[in-house]
Amino acid sequence: MRYALFLGCFIPVRLPHLEAVARSVLPQLGVELADIEGFTCCPEPVGFLTDRVTGLAMAARNICLAEEAGLDIITLCNGCTYTLRQANETLKADPALRARINEILAETGHEFRGTVDVRHFAQVLSQQVGFEGIRSVVRKPLTGLRVACHTGCHILSPPGVMGFDDPLDPIVLDGMVSALGAEPVDWERKTMCCGWTLTNYGDRESANRLLGAKLDAMHAAGADCSTVICPQCFYQFDTGQMLAARELKMEYRVPTIYYLQLLALAMGRSLDEAGIRQHRVKDPALDGKLGRLTA
Amino acid sequence: MHEAAEICLKCGVCCNVAHSCHVKYDHRFNPRYTFVYDCLASEKRASNPNIWLCVSCHKCEETCPYDVSPVYFIEALKAEALGTGFVHPTIRAEVAQIVSTGFAFPVTGATERQRQTLNLKPLPPKAVDELAKIAEKTGLAARLKEAQP
Repeated sequence: MRYALFLGCFIPVRLPHLEAVARSVLPQLGVELADIEGFTCCPEPVGFLTDRVTGLAMAARNICLAEEAGLDIITLCNGCTYTLRQANETLKADPALRARINEILAETGHEFRGTVDVRHFAQVLSQQVGFEGIRSVVRKPLTGLRVACHTGCHILSPPGVMGFDDPLDPIVLDGMVSALGAEPVDWERKTMCCGWTLTNYGDRESANRLLGAKLDAMHAAGADCSTVICPQCFYQFDTGQMLAARELKMEYRVPTIYYLQLLALAMGRSLDEAGIRQHRVKDPALDGKLGRLTA
Repeated sequence: MHEAAEICLKCGVCCNVAHSCHVKYDHRFNPRYTFVYDCLASEKRASNPNIWLCVSCHKCEETCPYDVSPVYFIEALKAEALGTGFVHPTIRAEVAQIVSTGFAFPVTGATERQRQTLNLKPLPPKAVDELAKIAEKTGLAARLKEAQP
């Protein structure tokens, strides 16, 4: 299966090691990645915080580029997936709105036709590659690694549009973690937001309390680390945790690992190759455990 | 928007799941009052700073028994804030950045060096001329200018 790789902004600009790991592991699962020239920001804050019509037009323009290449889109970010899927489904279902957006797009030379789909890599892995397909590439099972799965918000709601998992009881990511041989833990506050939006646009102290409550719950469940499928969640649990830990005087750390990094480790890549060493929140016990599992 | 708000019974189900309304994290925000107050009672809609405490987690949408879905009201108020001078400065700056560069975040020399170390291609130039045409046509460009501090 061949997809147009939609990188968005956060990963290529701030977390390029996650782009590198995606480019390295996905093709080995039969997911071929094509680079499309001209993609811009999805554009998340334009759409749902500022101007719905402009947001739809900019998202539609991105989708048009994939349509012109005849490829479905694969994303690495919950926010991009939400923006592009919402726009795609809305414009496919509403001919009047589609006509209005196409009128706005006319000067750019693009026309939205509604011929492609948008999928998060977690959707591609769980629904197309399948859990069996994931298991088939595991060379170093992550046996005994206890992982708190944080799916994030924007890939879940509304489920009719997003088509991934139950927003109030998500379990697909747990299944994907199990497929690597690791052990997903039950933990409280699993469906709570990571708080990234609150940190940036709201109130940092509230965000720290929210993040602290989530980390407490992971720690209480005995998690070695958390796993995420979204760069915003990743940033919050990594850099955000580093900053919050000072204010909250936290006595422990729960490092986070982007799911594709866990997959890379299970496929036999080293900690360096998976980009784990670039993280800000480190735990020697976790590094030791991962070192033994991947040796 | 108002039609749906009028059927809100203030039952509070949304507040049991919304993430930052819990008093433990921030007692100022609560989806019921934030949108009911702003949409139906206040002449200064969108001036309530508490709208920026909504994280758009959509859990209120999942649990609202009457399909009121406070999240969409609060997002509409955030959008309205751009035209009324109450926009959060970070949002205004980020949106302006997207329209002018195609990226939500500034690309720095450090970004390019890190990409080089990882053997990733340099970031391609974005189709900013096309974004400018869209923003011009929808009026976003003019609204952003007006909202400049």
